[in-house]
Amino acid sequence: MQGDLSLLLPVAAPLAAGLLVLFVRAFDERRTRNLFTGAALALTVLLTLPTLLRGETQLTLFHLTDTIPVVLRTDGVARLFLVLIAFVWAMVGFYSFEYMAHEQHERRFYGFYLLTLAALMGLSLSGTLVTLYMFYEAMTLLSLPLVLHTQTREAVAAGVKYLLYSVFGASLALLGIFFLQFYCTSLSFTPGGTLDALKAAGHEPLLLGIVALALLGFGVKAGMFPLHAWLPTAHPVAPSPASAVLSGIITKAGVLGILRIVFFLVGPDFLRGTWVQALFLGLTVLTVFLGSMLAFKETLLKKRLAYSTVSQVSYVLFGLFTLTPVGFVGALLHVVCHALIKNTLFMGAGAIIEKTGKTRVDELVGIGKRMPIVMWCFTLCAVALIGIPPTGGFVSKWFLAEGALSMGGIVYAWLGPVVLLVSALLTAGYLLPISTRGFFPGEHADLAALSKAEPTALMTVPMLVLAALCVLLGMFPGALTSFLQAIAGGVL
Amino acid sequence: MNLLLPVLVFFPMAGAVASYLCGRRDKRLRDMLCCALTAVEFALSAALLLAVVRGGERAFALEGFCAMGLTLRADGLRALYTAIASFMFLMTTLFSPEYFRHYHNRNRYYLFTLLTLGATVGVFLSDDLFTTFVFFEVMSLASYPWVAHDERAESLRAAETYLYIAVIGGLVTLMGLFLLYAQLGTLSFAGMRAAAAAMESPAALYLPGALTLFGFGVKAGMFPAHVWLPKAHAVAPAPASALLSGILTKTGVFGILVVSSNLFLHDANFGDVILFFGCVTMVLGAVLALFSTNLKRTLACSSMSQIGFILVGVGLQGLLGAHNALAVQGTALHMVNHSLIKLTLFLCAGVVYMNAHKLNLNEIRGFGRGKPLLHFAFLMGALSIAGVPLFGGYISKSLLHEGIVEYIALLGEAGQPAGLYRFVEILFLTSGGMTLAYMTKLYIALFWEKNATCQAEYDALNGRYMNRLSAFALVGAAVLPPLLGVLSNVFMTRIASVMQGFMYGQSPEHAVAYFSAANLTGAAQSLCIGAVLYALIRWLLMQREGGVRVYADRWPAKLDLEEGFYRPLLLRWLPNPLVIALTRALDELTDSIVIALRHTLLGQTKKHGPVPVGTHLTYALGTVLNAIVALLNHTFYHRRPIKTDFTVALAAGLDELRSSGRLISGSMSFGLLLLCIGMYLTFAYLMTLS
Repeated sequence: MQGDLSLLLPVAAPLAAGLLVLFVRAFDERRTRNLFTGAALALTVLLTLPTLLRGETQLTLFHLTDTIPVVLRTDGVARLFLVLIAFVWAMVGFYSFEYMAHEQHERRFYGFYLLTLAALMGLSLSGTLVTLYMFYEAMTLLSLPLVLHTQTREAVAAGVKYLLYSVFGASLALLGIFFLQFYCTSLSFTPGGTLDALKAAGHEPLLLGIVALALLGFGVKAGMFPLHAWLPTAHPVAPSPASAVLSGIITKAGVLGILRIVFFLVGPDFLRGTWVQALFLGLTVLTVFLGSMLAFKETLLKKRLAYSTVSQVSYVLFGLFTLTPVGFVGALLHVVCHALIKNTLFMGAGAIIEKTGKTRVDELVGIGKRMPIVMWCFTLCAVALIGIPPTGGFVSKWFLAEGALSMGGIVYAWLGPVVLLVSALLTAGYLLPISTRGFFPGEHADLAALSKAEPTALMTVPMLVLAALCVLLGMFPGALTSFLQAIAGGVL
Repeated sequence: MNLLLPVLVFFPMAGAVASYLCGRRDKRLRDMLCCALTAVEFALSAALLLAVVRGGERAFALEGFCAMGLTLRADGLRALYTAIASFMFLMTTLFSPEYFRHYHNRNRYYLFTLLTLGATVGVFLSDDLFTTFVFFEVMSLASYPWVAHDERAESLRAAETYLYIAVIGGLVTLMGLFLLYAQLGTLSFAGMRAAAAAMESPAALYLPGALTLFGFGVKAGMFPAHVWLPKAHAVAPAPASALLSGILTKTGVFGILVVSSNLFLHDANFGDVILFFGCVTMVLGAVLALFSTNLKRTLACSSMSQIGFILVGVGLQGLLGAHNALAVQGTALHMVNHSLIKLTLFLCAGVVYMNAHKLNLNEIRGFGRGKPLLHFAFLMGALSIAGVPLFGGYISKSLLHEGIVEYIALLGEAGQPAGLYRFVEILFLTSGGMTLAYMTKLYIALFWEKNATCQAEYDALNGRYMNRLSAFALVGAAVLPPLLGVLSNVFMTRIASVMQGFMYGQSPEHAVAYFSAANLTGAAQSLCIGAVLYALIRWLLMQREGGVRVYADRWPAKLDLEEGFYRPLLLRWLPNPLVIALTRALDELTDSIVIALRHTLLGQTKKHGPVPVGTHLTYALGTVLNAIVALLNHTFYHRRPIKTDFTVALAAGLDELRSSGRLISGSMSFGLLLLCIGMYLTFAYLMTLS
């Protein structure tokens, strides 16, 4: 082990805490466990912050073989994902203390919740593709109990489906690793890529095919068509905090994988103008539309949000596959915005389920009168997801569309922005009615039945924080955009 | 950098939050606070206007806001319209405490009203299209609660339309902005003008320009996106209707002016298009107003028609090119006039509604008898909007009319046919006449006719139908139209010269003689047409019921673009069953493959259980198949007949599909299988390598 040992801390802290919660009986007592988990989550956030202040450092954990090191490194992308994930994870964690009090097996839930965080921390910090793959598989397996949590027949079926899709995706990624190991000078993530031009010469068609398969494999986690079907199955059955992070964070692991392969191993120049770029632009545009349309026709709130995630994560992928600096900035900006927005929306859905037991959209008339704070957060985030200024979603959409238009060409430069806007309209169609009917139940609404059902501050404060951040990020994105532009300048 | 500009925008927004928090404790205090906030806002904007008129422009920029930065600038038009906006918010807020006495959710109303005020001022002060758009969207959303306020079914429906049309308009405009920014590299007004002027042909800008225009046209109520306007204005509370009609539509016009005078300055093609839509809007609005039997709906349709007049002015600016001084001034003045007139008229409607709680002309007829203050206010507004000489509306309509005449003369000099534009002139004068006709209809109904059932009730209200604050707001609004008209050389000329710089207009070579013989003739023609039309109204649009002549709603209900076209288009035709089925099929594509593999490769067979019951579809299909098979069994297969019962088989298949779709249970083996495929590919390749 050599290098900056402090990089191990964000991974080790939740790992140790998670194992303790899982195996120590004393944590069956709710108060102790919640205090401990909360402290561990807060500590992890604190431990990620130093990476923002220091330059790029790295730590070689061990060598799998002589030529395959397992490396943690804090480059720009790593820092962004690290801090974002730790922060959102902690917020959802605080929220879940009240929510999970009504579920069984809390200790198991929090154990795996912390362990998954550890895997995600490692994933963000991964410095090579093999490291990334290891943490990626660990994340899949450790997050499985979150989906299975209720142990109903449906939850088990959904869990198996989640597992199968993920394993299939990872196997495609593994295939990619074999080939990239051969054709790249190293599997260490290097801005601009490490493709060995001499070896690759003459094998471009094969290499493109392999890269396409690997990207498709990581696309499973990102919910990209045609392998998105696990998302709308797994999200509704998981407890709400779990669906929030599955939707808002775990899908971003797929984004990270794709980003690392495209911009740090293969290199954008190799893909630009090839059929792979065209294929993935096409698939993402299709997914954006498909997800929104399905969400528009869905009546189960959590499933509607899950389809919405399918659509929104493909905004991010679309931005990446434009292979332009502006699109890249837009994509990463949307990673942040979508993480904030979708977690808040799912927390809102969870609060509604917890307090009123309602899961269908048409049952939510007057909900704004019953839980005004929750619904205000929900509405703000809905507005942000549609992309109405001055919220974060608007800024990222602006960059994404300008990125598409700067790509040149006719088909996707135009189709991209048009589909983004059509999807935005559908987003308005599937989210705004919840708010408008929630706050404007109609003059004949039975006001007596609309008793207050606002959850406690433990639930509302995390939602308020994320919603406020999402709006503030839209109004003052300067610091973040210049950070992202610096990364984009390095890789493109 | 001038800090007054951001203060004007953000002060009301901060005030909105303050008023909301205050209103949770003390309602009277909240009402006073809101009046004070709008009064301060008006004082500040008046100070800005004075400063701008005396000492040139003021500007402010906030780098990095929403990534693209916020730029504000106050020149003549923008400072004046900021002042008008805050004046209108002040007057309606003064009117609100009494109007909303019996309403619920007043806190919500004030919160969103003040938010809208800030956003509206932001639109009017913006110096680049990005800033315009940001505030425009905030304004659109923040004004939604106005329309939905009383939560009646029709209000909620109108509000829904308002919201979605605003969202659609916003998205289309956004697409326009994407394209404009990609083409021009800037969205600041001056920068766009320079970049557009440097382009060889404006044709490349037509599409982005049209898209940008759409969103603004929606807010302005331009045909064919006007459908929300008559409904939303009619159901909102009266103070909100006054603002929607008087000032929010003008933000749309402002956006159109930005596009027309920066991207398409003096572009005749663009002028023709706007002129066309302006004419349709003008005539259609007036016709709808003639047919309407609801006080506020008539006023709302009238707004639409007057926006049409303004758009005709914008179109003429493009057509007249460098000689557009009169069109520029006419456009600017008609905007101002219409804002002030609609404030007066909607406040009058508010007085009627808060006392009678009705708006149908047959029910409120006779309400105004013996109420001199209301009578005066309504008359001022009506005469001015009808374009009667000595009132504000006459001046602006005359200028617009002169613009048309001038263009016809220009075409004549150039030897080109002008028949089309003569037709435009006729439409213009006729619409002016219709304005007089429908205002007379309202006026006669309200103030002269007697109510058959509740005249005594209405008369009993005389002298105590509004409090002093409301009366102050009403009269304060009502004295302006005649004041501007009578002292036209003092006010109108100055207002016009202050505003024209925004549209790059020049002062006309000679001082305009507002009361020249030609102008008076035009007005007289219009008024005569109006008198004839009013006679027709009484003849055709009234009928005798139970011995009383009542106003009949003769507008065919089927002629409703929203119900007949837009709603079906968006809710039924675009997401049609085919598209839905296709998306569903794609959604389940992978799962279906998995299921198919299970049945074939893994050889999983279904268990025996009770005979499944399918749906009507499977039964029908199965019956058909059974019949076909029976036929085949009799003909080709009579030796070995097929014995499957297809109704059962199909039902079983459906069951299987459903349960499999829900539960891709099965086993790990499938995952391993797929993993193996990946491995096989790898090994196959490695074999070929070695």
